[in-house]
Amino acid sequence: MKARVSTDWLSGCSGCHVAMVDLHEKLLGLVEEVDFVRVPVLMDEKDYPKADVGVVEGAVRSDHDRVALEKMRASVDKLIAFGSCAVYGGPSGLGWLHERDDVMAAVYDGGPTNAGGERPDADAPILEDSVVPIDEVVEVDAYLPGCPPHPYFIAAGLRAVLGVSDLQLTAMSVCADCDRKMLKNEGAELHRGEVTAEKDSLCFLSQGVVCLGSVSLNRCQAPCPHSGVACFGCAGPSVDLITEPHLDLRNLIGRRLNMLTGVSEEEVTRYFQEDAKTLYAYAVASPVIHGKPTVEIREWAGPKPAAQGGE
Amino acid sequence: MIEIAVDEKACVSCSLCAEICPTDVFVWDEDEGVPKINRPGECFGCLSCSEICPPHCITHEGVELAESHYHDPYALRLASRLAADVSGRFNVPSDEASQNQAAADLGVRLRSVAEVFKRTLGGSLPAVGTMAGRTLARHLPRYREPKGLDEALVLAKQQFSPAWEFETTRNGDDLTINVDRCFVRETCEREGQEIGSEMCVLFYNYLAGYLGRMGKVRLRLMDADRGAKCCYSVKIYEK
Ligand code: SF4
Ligand code: SF4
Ligand code: SF4
Ligand code: SF4
Ligand code: SF4
Repeated sequence: MKARVSTDWLSGCSGCHVAMVDLHEKLLGLVEEVDFVRVPVLMDEKDYPKADVGVVEGAVRSDHDRVALEKMRASVDKLIAFGSCAVYGGPSGLGWLHERDDVMAAVYDGGPTNAGGERPDADAPILEDSVVPIDEVVEVDAYLPGCPPHPYFIAAGLRAVLGVSDLQLTAMSVCADCDRKMLKNEGAELHRGEVTAEKDSLCFLSQGVVCLGSVSLNRCQAPCPHSGVACFGCAGPSVDLITEPHLDLRNLIGRRLNMLTGVSEEEVTRYFQEDAKTLYAYAVASPVIHGKPTVEIREWAGPKPAAQGGE
Repeated sequence: MIEIAVDEKACVSCSLCAEICPTDVFVWDEDEGVPKINRPGECFGCLSCSEICPPHCITHEGVELAESHYHDPYALRLASRLAADVSGRFNVPSDEASQNQAAADLGVRLRSVAEVFKRTLGGSLPAVGTMAGRTLARHLPRYREPKGLDEALVLAKQQFSPAWEFETTRNGDDLTINVDRCFVRETCEREGQEIGSEMCVLFYNYLAGYLGRMGKVRLRLMDADRGAKCCYSVKIYEK
């Protein structure tokens, strides 16, 4: 029996669809046969044919996104939130920090390529007041974060959803697949804003460089630290951070950095607050982050009052 | 007995587990750069080691968790549909009896906090409530700022239900709040406290502070009718 898979693309960058298309041949080996009945980047199917699994990329930003998502949900048995935008808002979710009118003004009135102030006409989808992850609109059966998700985990996730095998996705963080050693390095200083570090076998944190590996869910096998760049958490927060209201990126990284190097926790948490828009980028629009009583993400990352010379 | 397992393949050799364990369960293996479980019988399940562990590669079987009502159901649902090995990690009861027990426990704490505040702060009690409410307004989850008081009221109805259920009528700058169900009232009744005592003062000023900040106005409690059901008259001041 062919497993029928249907996909859709809401407010996302298409990266998730490209990752899926890339996977095509591996998918064939994965289940007997996968029958794609709807894939916006590959075929001209405008309807929502019945399918076993729906795979949705992107967050809900416009009235079109909402209607499309509801149609998709109604046409499938299981729905996968595919990629960090669908799961947490992802990069698309950054719009959550701003008022709709400010977003429109920034893009259509003041943008360098469109300073004429011309707005899209009535045929274009209308932006909703804010941008939300897809589970704010419909029930989601499985979440596959990543920006975009990694082939290994796409396969494991699809397998599980199709009932070919039990879910084999671990709750470990990116560090679990990282080859660097996290050794004590008393006296190392905090290097704000840096994403590379001198020694290539030593953990970034040991060298005073913020790496989000330990607070990010491993859905990627750690390609970034392996290529010399600190993890910036593109697959969203690790499971402990999701479930425990008192745990957060900044206090966990603060504690670990402090124990490894002696850098003060306050210095780290201050840095996270000041650079919140970068360091929290992938999940700002998710209830996981904005629902934490210890996190004031809007104040840290949102538009700064003009009086303070902010954005 | 608690069974501890370390996934050595995932371990990044930070030794933070050995450092943090209050009962020296681990001994550090210099050659392999991993912790070895040396005194498993000493583990009392504080989970400090698994919390600090960067790859999250330490697990414990047989730790009995206290009931934890503070978990957010949204977060637990997300986590369990995200990874295989999370369900069963929490002890979140959903039966009514334990919910009621939790509410009663919370009520006792609320009462003692209110009493201490009253004794130390006396007349500033309303101001403290208002300040706390304004602070809460920054923390309670919401997707976008309500445009004004009316939107803030609609949002608050969703956020506080079922602990606090109410209807409002607005007439110019007069607002009436008719309370159907109130957690504080139930606590007063359970604790044998008079309705309208310090707990009520704290809580309703707290709500006024919260609603005011969310609705970008200032709210002042003018009068309270604490009959069979409570009814508050509130004055709205535009900022
Ligand atoms: S998760 Fe990343 S790759 Fe996927 S749509 Fe969003 S921004 Fe693009
Ligand atoms: S913090 Fe970063 S560099 Fe260090 S072990 Fe984890 S992923 Fe690797
Ligand atoms: S290492 Fe971090 S930033 Fe890189 S792909 Fe993985 S989660 Fe994303
Ligand atoms: S749970 Fe607590 S007592 Fe047990 S090994 Fe970990 S840190 Fe030690
Ligand atoms: S805390 Fe985790 S990663 Fe660090 S040494 Fe212990 S088991 Fe290994």
